[in-house]
Amino acid sequence: MSSNLYKARAEFYKLRSLVSRNIKIYFKDKMTFFVSLITPLILVILFLTFLKDVYDDTIIDSLPQGMEISKKLINAFSGGWLFSSIISVSTVTVAFCSNIHVLDKINKSFTDFSITPVKRPTLLASYVISDFLTTLLICLTVMLVSFVYLAIVGFYLSFGDIVMLLLSTMIMSAFGSLLASLAGMFISSQGALSGISSCVSALYGFISGAYMPISQFGAGMKNFVSLLPGTYGTVLIRKYYMRGILRHLEEVEHIPAEIVSSLNKAFDGQMSAFGTDIPIWACYLIISLSCVALFLLLLAVAALLSKHKPRSKKQSRRKK
Amino acid sequence: MTERVIRMYDKVISIEHLKKYYKEVKAVDDISFSVRRGELFAFLGLNGAGKSTTINILCGIAEKDDGKIYVCGIDTDKEREAIKPLLGVVFQNSVLDSRLSGIDNLRTRAAMYGITGREFEDNLYELSESLELADILRRPLVKLSGGQKRRMDIARALIHKPEILILDEPTTGLDPKTRILVWRLLAELRRKRGLTIILTTHYMEEADEADEIVVIDAGKIVAHDTPVNLKNDFADDMMRIYAFKTEFPAILQADGVQYVKGNSGLEIKLSDTEEAKTLLMKYSDFIFDFEVIKGNLDSVFVNVTGKSLKENLTA
Repeated sequence: MSSNLYKARAEFYKLRSLVSRNIKIYFKDKMTFFVSLITPLILVILFLTFLKDVYDDTIIDSLPQGMEISKKLINAFSGGWLFSSIISVSTVTVAFCSNIHVLDKINKSFTDFSITPVKRPTLLASYVISDFLTTLLICLTVMLVSFVYLAIVGFYLSFGDIVMLLLSTMIMSAFGSLLASLAGMFISSQGALSGISSCVSALYGFISGAYMPISQFGAGMKNFVSLLPGTYGTVLIRKYYMRGILRHLEEVEHIPAEIVSSLNKAFDGQMSAFGTDIPIWACYLIISLSCVALFLLLLAVAALLSKHKPRSKKQSRRKK
Repeated sequence: MTERVIRMYDKVISIEHLKKYYKEVKAVDDISFSVRRGELFAFLGLNGAGKSTTINILCGIAEKDDGKIYVCGIDTDKEREAIKPLLGVVFQNSVLDSRLSGIDNLRTRAAMYGITGREFEDNLYELSESLELADILRRPLVKLSGGQKRRMDIARALIHKPEILILDEPTTGLDPKTRILVWRLLAELRRKRGLTIILTTHYMEEADEADEIVVIDAGKIVAHDTPVNLKNDFADDMMRIYAFKTEFPAILQADGVQYVKGNSGLEIKLSDTEEAKTLLMKYSDFIFDFEVIKGNLDSVFVNVTGKSLKENLTA
């Protein structure tokens, strides 16, 4: 028993050491760091150039004739929408770009670790954990920046909203890391890595509704994105960034509930799939179950790939 | 327990009928050899001869198709994990993290062997002294020269004090000073700790220092012996005649003795050094200045494989 405990402790130290190494590599490689922030940077540029005006106009247009709301509320609303987009996209794009497993396969560090006594599951777990921590760290930093921004233009988040934002970001970071780790199991060349990272960076912003609200998509596209678990996570992050403002509009500004509700739907604060509204708890359930499914799939793929390593002919014959 | 097993075995590595085929290509074709404790064992062969494949199978990076490998008496099929701490490997190309400093790289790798804290500091200090790493340990690897990186690779292979050090063309691209430094350290480790070294190389002067050499060609062992025996058995000795009577070449031609006219004189290929004595006695009146040159490993390689290592290096 004590021997098993000693072994587990020794393996834990190895895991800790590998996780710390993986995180250091990501932050010291300026190019990888920059590439992973391309989508968030595109969003900021789009926001500063024209998206903010589009959002502002949409908010104003959705209000009844003659009804006005303060600039502070509008700025807080569009700011919250921007940062919810950046965070939800980053949970996936940063996870793909900070996947050290693929880099290790390309530069043969993985081979170097394979000749050491570290167990393969420990090695693979270190990549998933470090990917998760890196993604979470970047997203939490963006969240901190968003709080500063909102504090300047208009802060309507309650303590509960912040807690739920943290929880949603954590779940989405786990989702992104598991997805990236699963993809990473099949990538072993620089070309494939660049291709997939670029595709994810370019596409994910669009299909997650980061560049434009899902509500503005066509029916087919809406149904398609509702099949993607990441969309549910994105909606959760949006919800908690906008909830305080919508509450304020309804309770303080006395905007009719129907209008607030339509505003909420127009800006993806409410998830719907195939015309049906999905409650919050179901969104959490779907994204959490997706994480569990990805984790199990990752385990299966890892086991399958290790089994598929070519064996000695004699060993195979003996097995038969 | 592992230590007890290690000491019991004088043969630290035994390879029996090892085979590795990639479809029709026989990368390693039924090779057997053993390596004794403290030996410097060299693998000589062209690119693609099967040297690195054998090394990769030994380290557990590649799977074999057939055969047995024992490391310090441990069957690698049964206890692969048990032999990992016994091996240290310097790969052909650096596999360390280029963005991290040398000390970060070594700390992570040492941790994989359960070496942390004071034990790591002690091992690091030892290696830092012998490989002169003090000035470069805290610099990112990307900023180091080729020689400095190679020293770091060797430090990584030795950080856990392995019993066997595998060097896959370790001095390629090293400057002469670093090459001397590396070999001085390896000689010291062999002397002090009985470190066994397995080396694959293109450099004849390095292979010449080995206790045993295996010449591998197209996956098969074509020669296996000490450097001296290989030279005696396979190398062509040569007599170079610098000063001679003008009619001497014609006499040799008339006697049917093959020679080549070089820049510095005549060169006669000898089957052994006895032939030199016979020639000297026969033509003593015609020869004024000469030299008998012992065949080198390059000559061994050409005679054994029909290929030249030098051509491989320049290709």
